[in-house]
Amino acid sequence: MTENEEFLKKMENLNVPEINPREHPKMVKMAILNADRSAALGVWLIILPCYFLCCVCMYYFFNAKAGWFGSMFALVTNLDKTRGLDLLAPFIFLIMPVVCIIINMLAIIHVGYRKIDPDNNRVRELNVTIKIKFWNIALILLSVAVLLAFLGFAMTESVSVKN
Amino acid sequence: MKLNWFTRKGIFYLPVSLIGWVLLLFAVAYAVYVFIDIDSHSHSVSDTLTNFVFNLLLIGVVYSIIGYFTEARKPKA
Repeated sequence: MTENEEFLKKMENLNVPEINPREHPKMVKMAILNADRSAALGVWLIILPCYFLCCVCMYYFFNAKAGWFGSMFALVTNLDKTRGLDLLAPFIFLIMPVVCIIINMLAIIHVGYRKIDPDNNRVRELNVTIKIKFWNIALILLSVAVLLAFLGFAMTESVSVKN
Repeated sequence: MKLNWFTRKGIFYLPVSLIGWVLLLFAVAYAVYVFIDIDSHSHSVSDTLTNFVFNLLLIGVVYSIIGYFTEARKPKA
């Protein structure tokens, strides 16, 4: 048997992989940002509002007469030695949690939009994939909680000032 | 433009270049100055600490934001 024949025989006996066209095509789902880096920065972005809220909680629990919003007012007054806190407050309590939410969302969410049927342009598919990364999800939830607390405080304060 | 000034260990950014070390020393020096400044205006220890920790975290946030953008990236495997 010549080399050529041997090669042909080998090729004929090769196992051809079976392709199932119904199987969902595998695709690489790359997030826009790195999850670990986003989580590390997210901790720093959320640490100041959390410190402030912890101080408010301690003030609230150790002063029997103080209400929640009274505690917040008292803490803001106590922090008057921080220069420029009036200017920094919206940045620290609103913008930083929002940035934390955005960078952590970009690190765990993948959005894909594509045609399913090559013959029909109208049939399209939107895939939203969320990676289960504990720290990123925890930071997003914490940031949402912080935002809600400060927005609630701001709204209550503006209503009480009007009255 | 890649600025490899810091490397990340967990949530902390450690300097790996001269500029990184200068920034870290500046942050520490500023924290000490802030502590002395707050302490001179405070009426109690808790007053000092409440304000100082807030300022210290603020310095940490600014330092970490700089570290985030100037971090040396590890090559992908």
